[in-house]
Amino acid sequence: MADSILSYITLAMILFSIGFLGVISRKNIFIVYMSIELMLNSVNLIFVSMGRYYESIQPQVIALMIIAIAAAEAAVFLSLIVVMYRRKRTLNSDLFTSLSQKDSNE
Amino acid sequence: MDFGILSVIIFLPMFVAFSMLFLPLGAKGTRNAAFATAIVIFLLTAIVYFNFEVTGYMQFREHYTWIASYGINYSLGIDGLSLIILMLIAGLIPTAYLWLWNGRTKGYWVSMLLIQTGISGTLFSQDLVLFYFFWEAMLLPVFMIIGMFGTGNRVFSTIKITVYTIMGSLFMLVSILYMGVAFYNEFGSWSFALNDIIQITTLTRTEELWLFAGFMLAFAIKIPLFPFHTWLLETYSNSPTGGVFLLSSIMAKLGVYGIIRFVMPIFPELYKEFAPFFVWLGIFGLLYFGIAAIMQVNIKKMFAYSSASHLGFIVTGIFSLNVNGMTGAAFLIIAHAMATGGLFLLVGKMEYDLGIKAIPALGGIAKKAPIFTVFFAIMFLSIVGLPGTNGFVSEFLIILGVFGFNHAAGIVSALTVLVAASFMFWLFQRAILQETNNDVSQMKDLSVKEIAGMLPLAVLIIAMGIYPDWFFYKIEPTIHHYLVDILEIRTF
Amino acid sequence: MSNFLLAWIVLIPLLSAVSLGLMYLYSIKISKISNIVFTTIGISAPFLSFFIGLSFFLQMIGNDEIFVYKAYTWLGVTGYDIDMGFMADKLSIFMVLFISFVGGLIHIYASGYMRDDKGYGKFFFYFNLFVASMLLLVLADSPIIMFIGWEGVGLCSYFLISYYYEDGANIEAGNKAFIANRVGDFGFIIGLITIFYYAGANGFDYINLEANIASVSPTILTFIGFSLFVGAIGKSAQIPLFVWLPDAMAGPTPVSALIHAATMVTAGVYMVARFHFLYDLIPNVGLFIAYIGAFSALFAAIIATKQTDIKKILAYSTMSQLGYMFIAVGLGGYSVGIFHVFTHAFFKALLFMGAGAVIVALHHEQNIFKMGGMKNKTPLVFFTMLIATLAITGIPPFAGFFSKDEILLTAFSSGQYILWIVGVVTAVLTAYYMFRMMFVVFFGKNYKEDRTIHFIPKSMTMPLVVLAIGSILAGLIGIPEVLGGHNIVGEWFVNWKHDSLHVTHNTELILMGVNILAAFIGIFIAYKKFYMYDMKEVPKFSGLVWNKFYIDEVYDTFIIQKIKQLSVFISYKIDINFIDKIVMGLSRSFIRTGQYVSRMQNANTRFYAFTMLVGISAISTYLIIVIR
Repeated sequence: MADSILSYITLAMILFSIGFLGVISRKNIFIVYMSIELMLNSVNLIFVSMGRYYESIQPQVIALMIIAIAAAEAAVFLSLIVVMYRRKRTLNSDLFTSLSQKDSNE
Repeated sequence: MDFGILSVIIFLPMFVAFSMLFLPLGAKGTRNAAFATAIVIFLLTAIVYFNFEVTGYMQFREHYTWIASYGINYSLGIDGLSLIILMLIAGLIPTAYLWLWNGRTKGYWVSMLLIQTGISGTLFSQDLVLFYFFWEAMLLPVFMIIGMFGTGNRVFSTIKITVYTIMGSLFMLVSILYMGVAFYNEFGSWSFALNDIIQITTLTRTEELWLFAGFMLAFAIKIPLFPFHTWLLETYSNSPTGGVFLLSSIMAKLGVYGIIRFVMPIFPELYKEFAPFFVWLGIFGLLYFGIAAIMQVNIKKMFAYSSASHLGFIVTGIFSLNVNGMTGAAFLIIAHAMATGGLFLLVGKMEYDLGIKAIPALGGIAKKAPIFTVFFAIMFLSIVGLPGTNGFVSEFLIILGVFGFNHAAGIVSALTVLVAASFMFWLFQRAILQETNNDVSQMKDLSVKEIAGMLPLAVLIIAMGIYPDWFFYKIEPTIHHYLVDILEIRTF
Repeated sequence: MSNFLLAWIVLIPLLSAVSLGLMYLYSIKISKISNIVFTTIGISAPFLSFFIGLSFFLQMIGNDEIFVYKAYTWLGVTGYDIDMGFMADKLSIFMVLFISFVGGLIHIYASGYMRDDKGYGKFFFYFNLFVASMLLLVLADSPIIMFIGWEGVGLCSYFLISYYYEDGANIEAGNKAFIANRVGDFGFIIGLITIFYYAGANGFDYINLEANIASVSPTILTFIGFSLFVGAIGKSAQIPLFVWLPDAMAGPTPVSALIHAATMVTAGVYMVARFHFLYDLIPNVGLFIAYIGAFSALFAAIIATKQTDIKKILAYSTMSQLGYMFIAVGLGGYSVGIFHVFTHAFFKALLFMGAGAVIVALHHEQNIFKMGGMKNKTPLVFFTMLIATLAITGIPPFAGFFSKDEILLTAFSSGQYILWIVGVVTAVLTAYYMFRMMFVVFFGKNYKEDRTIHFIPKSMTMPLVVLAIGSILAGLIGIPEVLGGHNIVGEWFVNWKHDSLHVTHNTELILMGVNILAAFIGIFIAYKKFYMYDMKEVPKFSGLVWNKFYIDEVYDTFIIQKIKQLSVFISYKIDINFIDKIVMGLSRSFIRTGQYVSRMQNANTRFYAFTMLVGISAISTYLIIVIR
């Protein structure tokens, strides 16, 4: 049993890393969002496998909650992207700098 | 006295200042209110003086709980040393107000009143945190008065002095808090009262050294002691007359006061151990600043250096560990406040009338304004230390004290007779006496108000030189107390 | 009690000065007060002091009484009590008498000399203040109170030298005087404090110090004696602090007469005499004092031989005569030195006042080579000045002969033959330059024949006559036994008489003869060169002696300029460029750090995310691994 949980966790870690690298290195906001979702899902995977390993139901509850929160977050995130796109006509996150030191009041 | 006279002395000016802000009075009304306040404070001080008993201990105590959970109390008290400085404040401020009578705005007067509150509060606090509170509170009105009403590069100067002083005070705050914690660890309850902090015994020597340094840094910047003096020149030069008067006459002395009131009782062993260092540092400052004053072109900068020179000598006096030196230092505090304050007022008037600060642009004032010249002469002779003025008595006592402490230091400190004379006489010649081609026709001689303000100072300077003993008897037990009880040194 | 009168000797001139000062301010600001008022008050003050002093003097004849009056406790710092006290013993009352008398005469003279001056009231304020300070100096019963008077005369000297203050050069002369005095005072204060510390356990007046002095170690005593003498060097214009005295002639002539002839400059001599109980114990320092005196005397006499300004000649002459006084007191002959102070007061004041009369007569001309033939133009002045010149040269029976002779006798009989030779050579030079002055000014033809002579008021001539009489008679109180007199002066100071001189009467007479011979040699040389000097043009001088051996220039280059450079160095190089740079650098480093850190806020989302990764990983690692 221990072996198999290790492989689940490894898988989850790999998914998490992929997601995180996506957040850091991708400029397109949608890709960033998808990477965030990937990270969330990998965490979900860990929780579920923990639940199976310890034969407890609590992690499964947490997993359900994460799904719900991810959905809410999706709503907020996507509407923000729509608004931002309307302003700047671009989805390149590098171009959203109006709060930085250089561009605002120096 | 039952009604908390010390609190009144502290808060009356602040109360008046804030009322003035809310009332629709103009500059004249504010000025009259400020002057009335100064007179009231003077009368209250007289009451304190006459009820003061000649012992070495704290009197007129007040005590209210403030922040009970940390033992921070509103605790006031006055002893011989604070009494002197209080009398200085009470006596000098009306004089200054008389000299600032015309041409100042409402904000100026409000700032002066607030400074007075801060000064008095610092003087009477017996609780460390309360002391720190007032110490910082003193700075804000000064910041405003220099920044708003100064000349030259005033914003830069005011920021420099404020930040520099606050930085020093920060170290002092850390020391205070550290000691509060140490007290708690040792006694199980919180207290920041001076008498309680003195009881701490569990500090290691390294801890004590750092705490001592923290306190001394704050005071060294204020006084100023070499090498923390570089804020002095620009600030004095760019300050308005009221500001520079208060800075040099009173606030600098509070640095010295802080050392005696707090550092001496809390760290008596370190005080004695570092005494030679500070004696020599003070003498070095005396000579260094005195020589630097000689070639100054700006008259206010010259007086700034002169002021710093004597303040260094005061520090030498208080670290000389004997009764002569400390009495001399107390006396020099008074003498210096009066003479330097008077000189800054006179120079301020010169600046106001003529708009010049540079010595080469002056000259021939003696003919236009003989009364001005007479007062100027009395003040600068006190600084030079001429016998017959209080300057001599104080310098003589300090030299005597330092000699008793260390013969070589005493001999070097005797150079004070030469230092001030070298630049003062030359200044008097160039700026006042000799006729030059410069236009000084705008210079007016002193008005009745100005004479009324300056005359008590001049008379006191001479009276204290002729009959100094009369002025000592109220403060002598205090000095005795400091030496014998706190530092455990035989007086003689 | 009757001793209270003692305080009035000082108080009267002091109060008079204060009222004169206030009246002067009143008269320039509000309404004018006539000069008569100032004159009456100003002149009566010193004479009143004289009469009070006389009353004490009369009580002291024939006994050893000392009058002490302690007015109040001046400074009662724990353990030491310094009182404002006055002590009249034989020395101080003697000084009081001639200071107030000669001072009063000079006041009368000044009322004539300064009559047209706008600041008349101010002048008498300073003058009376000076007299008060000088009397305080000699009547003080403790060194500190004496120091108050000491500085007081220095201050008045400053004000009086720079009296014509519109011209900066006069003020510079005043500054020089005050600062040179202060350099001396630096030594004096150190000596004062040392003696206070070591011998002042029972009290700090002279009587107590004298009692305790024996317990102090000789090294310390030498140090004290030397330091105190440094003060005397400054005050009495000896080498090396003499540079102020010639420049001090910038002040009005009555000032030179009072301060730089009769009184202030003699304060140093008085001080050594007053501390006789100290100097008796340290004869090495005494010898040093005598040598300084001797060489100052010689040095000044050499310079005087080439001076052309009549007042400067007299100034150097004063320095020279002061040197003689120090020879005497240095070798323990206190009464002899004070005797010379006394006689010198008469003839030197007379010389200055006469010179002032000549200067006024010739419309403020001071170069002797622009004078001449004044013998017939101002006969009274000529006659009185001749008497004074004979006195200073040491021709009997005039005053200077007896006092100078006593000094040289002291030097010879103490075995200090070098000092004696220097003294005799200086006497030759003294005779030479004084008679050079007399011949050039009073004999021959006037430089400008047609010049009208300005009127000299009686107030100026009358004191001349009185002092001339004094110059003749003053010596009589010191006629030594060898000539049949009783040496009254020596008897007066009998407590301090030096060991009786070990010379026979014959030796004394021979020495006297040598002195007279020396004087005549000098007169003869002057006669040959300057009698009936016919001036077609004013001679120009140059050279080492004329330039006063360049001492002023040396002081300026090596001391004054160096200090000024040091001042600039401190205020610019160190303060602004070094310390302040550190302070400003510290604050700028804060600003720069802030600027660096603010670059982290670059609105680059991915960067933020990356930093978050790093941060969270670090914290998690710490939490999981380090803290289990």
